[in-house]
Amino acid sequence: MINKEHIQQEIDKTLQCLDGIKRAEANPFLYTRIKARMQKDSGWEKVISFITRPAVVFTTLVILIAINGLTFFNTADENSVTENESFTTTDFDEEYNLVSTINYDYENNPGE
Amino acid sequence: MTTETELIEQLKRGEEAAFKSIVDQWKDLVYNISLGIVQNETEAEDITQDVFIKVFENISSFKGESKFSTWLYRIVTTTSLDHLRSKKRKKRFGFLFSLSGDESYEGNQIPDFNHPGVKLDDKERAKVLFKAISNLPESQKAAFTLHKLEGLSYREISEVMNTTVSAVESLMSRANGNLRKQLEEFYKTM
Repeated sequence: MINKEHIQQEIDKTLQCLDGIKRAEANPFLYTRIKARMQKDSGWEKVISFITRPAVVFTTLVILIAINGLTFFNTADENSVTENESFTTTDFDEEYNLVSTINYDYENNPGE
Repeated sequence: MTTETELIEQLKRGEEAAFKSIVDQWKDLVYNISLGIVQNETEAEDITQDVFIKVFENISSFKGESKFSTWLYRIVTTTSLDHLRSKKRKKRFGFLFSLSGDESYEGNQIPDFNHPGVKLDDKERAKVLFKAISNLPESQKAAFTLHKLEGLSYREISEVMNTTVSAVESLMSRANGNLRKQLEEFYKTM
């Protein structure tokens, strides 16, 4: 029991140990460092650092693969449709000699 | 003496003197919060630089609807938490590299952190507490750090975190509960 009380006291003291804490002080030369960095991180560095981000690279790859995939499937579909359409009924008729060249006058020759 | 509003207007016009003035005026605030969240002096300094560069680049988006300090607290809190997330991701990949024999992987060891603003008598306790804070979920960590290290009220924290006062009360309650649990484990094993 005493041990439990002791532990609770320690916990309370620890939780209060940040009371009255002073603010940490930043580097006095911080502004100089910021300026140097801003001069360094300009133009191409920013572009390169953006496009080399893993998320950007991954998204670009996914988009390229999707475009390639769509193009491939569209091309494959067009080819198969073209093959089908190239075998038209006209070709079918010609191949099997189904086109009739006889012009019979039914009106003037009903019975024959 | 230039007021804060005038300084911000000058910064929007890209005046360097205004930027220097803002950096000098707010750098300790930014560094203190960043240090409290990431618990590493080198990283906190880098984040402080990042924050002021973001301020410079995005000052036109500051409409003055909230206090400048609120906006600044929000940027430093978000940037610091983003940094921690990025560090965690790198650790995960580092683990994979370590399987291949890479010696540079440090594992999950969080080094002891000594905040320079803590009283001498409380240094050891503060180390224990900061270790426990580092294990808190992000929102609880942010709220607790803003309250304890900067003395922000729950209302001020709600404005920084863009949430309600009751949400902040809940975060603080859960943070305290979590910390008590961790500290109990620690002191039981001592």
